[in-house]
This record gives sequence, C-alpha cells and structure tokens, in this order.
Amino acid sequence: MKELTEIKNIVSNPYAYIRKCKKQTGKKVVGYCCSYAPEEIIWAAGAMPVRLFSANENIHLADTHLQSYCCSLVRGILEEALADRLDFLDGVIFPHTCDSFQRLSDIWRLNIKGPFHLDVVLPVKLDTPSALQYLRDALEKFKNDLGGKLGREITNAMLADSIRTYNKIRRLIGKLYELRCENPQIISGADFHAVIKAAMIMDKNDFLEALSQIITQLEKDGAQKTKAKVKKLVLSGSVCSHPDIYNIIENAGGVVVWDDLCTGYRYFEGLMAENSRPLEAIAERYLNRVVCPAKHMQLKGRGENLVRLVKNSGAEGVVFLLLKFCDPHAFDFPYLKGMLEEASIPCMLLDVETELPSEGQLQTRFETFIQIL
Amino acid sequence: MRTAGIDIGSITAKAAIVEDGKILGTKVIFTGYNAEAAGTKVYEELLREKSLDKSAVEKIVSTGYGRNSVNFADKSFTEIMCHAAGAYHLDKKVRSIIDIGGQDSKAILLDEHGKVKNFVMNDKCAAGTGRFLEVMARALEVDLDEFGEISVKSEKPSKISSLCTVFAESEVISLIARGEKRKDIIAGIHESIASRVASMSARIGLIEPLMITGGVARNSGVVKALGKKLNMKIEVLPYAQVTGAIGAAFLATTL
Repeated sequence: MKELTEIKNIVSNPYAYIRKCKKQTGKKVVGYCCSYAPEEIIWAAGAMPVRLFSANENIHLADTHLQSYCCSLVRGILEEALADRLDFLDGVIFPHTCDSFQRLSDIWRLNIKGPFHLDVVLPVKLDTPSALQYLRDALEKFKNDLGGKLGREITNAMLADSIRTYNKIRRLIGKLYELRCENPQIISGADFHAVIKAAMIMDKNDFLEALSQIITQLEKDGAQKTKAKVKKLVLSGSVCSHPDIYNIIENAGGVVVWDDLCTGYRYFEGLMAENSRPLEAIAERYLNRVVCPAKHMQLKGRGENLVRLVKNSGAEGVVFLLLKFCDPHAFDFPYLKGMLEEASIPCMLLDVETELPSEGQLQTRFETFIQIL
Repeated sequence: MRTAGIDIGSITAKAAIVEDGKILGTKVIFTGYNAEAAGTKVYEELLREKSLDKSAVEKIVSTGYGRNSVNFADKSFTEIMCHAAGAYHLDKKVRSIIDIGGQDSKAILLDEHGKVKNFVMNDKCAAGTGRFLEVMARALEVDLDEFGEISVKSEKPSKISSLCTVFAESEVISLIARGEKRKDIIAGIHESIASRVASMSARIGLIEPLMITGGVARNSGVVKALGKKLNMKIEVLPYAQVTGAIGAAFLATTL
C-alpha cells in the first residue's frame, strides 16, 4: 500500500518530513509533548502542530539539567532540544500536567533560545463544577497568546474548521482500532503503530487523506484475510515509542488490539461538538475523555475505563507499559492491577526506558504470559 | 514413551531424558560461546552415557534463553513453563517456585494442577543471580562450590547495601580491605541476594510448599538466607539445577 509505505518513511525520519513540509507550505511549526496540548487551536491558527518524542540516542546533555529519577521521555525531549535537533521549531507549548513536564518547561525557557514558549495552565481536577469554565478560560488565554506569537487573529470560524478536521481524523482512527480489533491480521502491530505516530507528526490534511485511503484498502483486504487464533491484549500506560513491542508480542502468539496510551487511543478518544462554541467544545472533550494520571477525575475512573476496554475489545489480558520513574502512572498501578484482578483479568508489568530490556528476556516474559492466559 | 528436554541457560546447558514418568538421566555442561553447539553436545553426551540412540527418543522440547537455537527440538517452551512442569512432576504438592539461574531470577506461582498462575522475573540487572555470585567468588578468591559451607559458619553477616553487581563488588573489596572475615562477607552476599529475590517474589505472593530450582539452589547459604528472609520452608531437590530440562522432557510427552 503506497500510503502506508509513505507513512512508514515519515515516521522513520520525522524531522526530515517536518523540515520539508515547513519549506513547502511556509507554515510555522509548534511542538508539544502531551495529549493535553490543545492542538486544534494550533492547527486553526494555520501552524503545524508536531509532537515531540524522546531521543533514541544516549541521553547525556540533558543529564546536566535533570536527575536520573526523571523519566526518559522528559530527559529525552530535552536532549533533542539541547542537541539542536529541533531547530525547525518556531514555538513550543507545555500544558500543565506532571511535575517533570512543568520543570521541563522552565528548563526549556532558561536554556533553549529561539522558539517562542507558552504554558497552558490547565486545571488539575477535571470533575469539579468550575472545571469547564476554568478550562475554557485557559484555552481562551492560550488562543490569544498563540495568536499574538504568530501575529494573527484566530477566529471562531478557523477553530470550527479545525475541529471538523480533527473530528474526521479521530473518527477514522476509531474505525482503524475497530477494524484491527475485529481482525488483527489486517495490519501488523508495527504498521499500526506507524500510522498512529504519523497522526502526531504529519500535516493534518495530508494525514487525513492518507488515512482514508488506508482504511478503504484495509476494509477491502480485510474480507479476504482469515482470522488467526491469537490472544488479544490491551496495552496500558503513557507513551509507546517501541514498535518492537508489537512484534515481540506477535511472535509470542499475542496481539495488541486496544490501548489507553497518551500516544494511542487517549489521543484520539472523543469527538468535539461541531455546533457549539469552539473553545467550549474543545474543553468539553477534555472533561469527557479518560484522564492522564497527572489529572484527577473520579477516584477510580482510569481503572473502570481499563476494565471496560478489556471487556469491549474481547482481550484476555493487559500489558502495562510504564516508563521508569513516571510517578503518576506508578502511583496508579497498584489500584489498576487490583481492579483487573477483581475482574479476573491477568496482567503483566513492563518497566521501560528509551531502550527496551534485552530481547531474550522480553520474549520469555511475553511468551509465558501469553501461554498462561 | 521416551522424551528429552534441553535447557540452554546463560552459564550451563542441561539435558534430561524421561521415560514413562521416570527420569532416566540428566547432564550439565558449560554453555560457552556457542549455544547451539552446547545443546547438541549435552544431549549427545547424555545419550552416550545412557547407551541410547537418537532414534530411541520420540520427542524433544527445548527451553532456556537459548531455546530457539536447539534446531533438533520439536518445540520450545519458556523456562518458566518448564521449571513449573519439572517442579510439579518432582513434587505434586508444590505451589511456588523460586528459580535462580545464571542471569535471571524468577518466582512462579502454580495452581493445584501444576499450571502457571503468575510469575515475576528480574529485569536487566544481574543482582540476585548466579552471575552476581560468580563475580563475588572471584573477588574473594573462593571456589563458588564452597560458598554455602563457608557462609553457614558466619555469626555476623556483613552488610552489603548496593544492589548493583558492580557496586556490590567494590563494596566487597572495601570489606576485604577492612579485614572482615570471609565467612561473614559471603554470608552478607547471600543475604543480599535473598533480600533481592524476596522483594521481587513479594510482588506475586509466594504460597507454601515452596521449591527452589536453578543452579543457585546448589548454594546452601543462599537457600538458608532466603528461607529466613521469607520465613518459609524451602524444598531443595538434588535435581534443582536440571528441573527446567526435566520439565521440558515432561512437556514433550504432551506433544
């Protein structure tokens, strides 16, 4: 499939794609690190939002600013900036989430010269009566600040247009998840991971077009591909920048059919109302979506969601993919595990950093886990 | 029915032959650089010792980190599945296993039918494994086989606080320089392994009867320290090191 090959090329060298895109379209590039970044406003402003990921290289420059007890995602993103590999950025935004990202925002302001810098101060508790108004005001302020930095006014019409584009993408990604859940044979986990990652890197219109083509093709192919007997799993955690995980699980006789990742379903979950005021619609999505553990919404919301995901997807187990030293996720893990146990859903925990543990070890753990399901 | 199990570990390669529920023989050699050659060698040596021809063995299962390099095996299973199967066949009452091998340590929970219910495995680091003991034996200039016997005499085990093998080694060297007794240092090393393995095992919750398997089970000092730390009785069988290979041979009967 031509579109899939293109997407895989882009994902294997995102910086080259972003530079080329910037040159061709003249768009400003705005980086972000988390799915609480109101991307819709950046895209509405005519800029190109791109998600920043950790360095695949050894982290050494960032170590002068961040201690080793900070997660490899935060340290890795700083490494990329300090090594001057993000010189295509015109701006960068930091939504208020976990402590490490807040500190990264400050360290960035002190040390990275060039791109403009904006914080988006979101509420921490998302289930209080004032959360919607607070969030709406924060988004309004961000819209005005961003407009100022980019030298243009961001109108409601521009926002409404952007919301429609994001809704289309999110609807299609939802479709992709459903197709793969129904018949995991239609697209390999590594290819699926590439499509999801491309959504956070590519120009939204280009991505939307490629994605529509891919889904049409998969629906056509899907009818011919037989469903193999494999154990379905749900992946839970923050970010997954290891496409190899999908391969290792598939080699061990399993398949990831759903996830609750920040770089996965949580990023796509929920549509925005197209007939109400745009900033409210964006805010409401954040209030309806399942939270990141750095935010608060109902004591057991994430656990209930995870159990529901497992049941709805027909999965037989959960793999927790947690970044070492990510404390919000680590704090939640014991209660999530407890809720899964109550529902008789087996789970295994994998602690990862930039590099995966040795493949032999991983293979042994996944093979055993899948065999005992 | 006669079957064989081949367990290629990081330090040793093991083979076992089983006939109608009985263990005919077992063999242990060093794995060395070439895992594939070690698998062939340990199996052929065992066949020779038992005066058996290859054709006399119906099915073969491989296990261990080198399980996929045993190209003459009919199937491979992970060492967790094989240690569970082996321990269960040796003692049907066993409900938990601690397996300490060359580079991994694992805790495994079984149900009453010998099926694996849950497991946990050390990641990345060599602390709490056989490799850790080897490093320490070198620093202390003691034969590893004597470790158990020496440590039992200690009344005041030294404190080893580093979890990292490299740091622990330098800690041991400082203890030697300070003139601490060998038996106390070795007992301290065993306690440090025991506390590492015990805290890992706590994640799945061990149930008695508990059996220890893997090469490190041969070290009575580690077993004693672990029993004390867990406050549990630990069953040690002479087959501890070859339990994985025996389990593989038993699993081969189900193919």
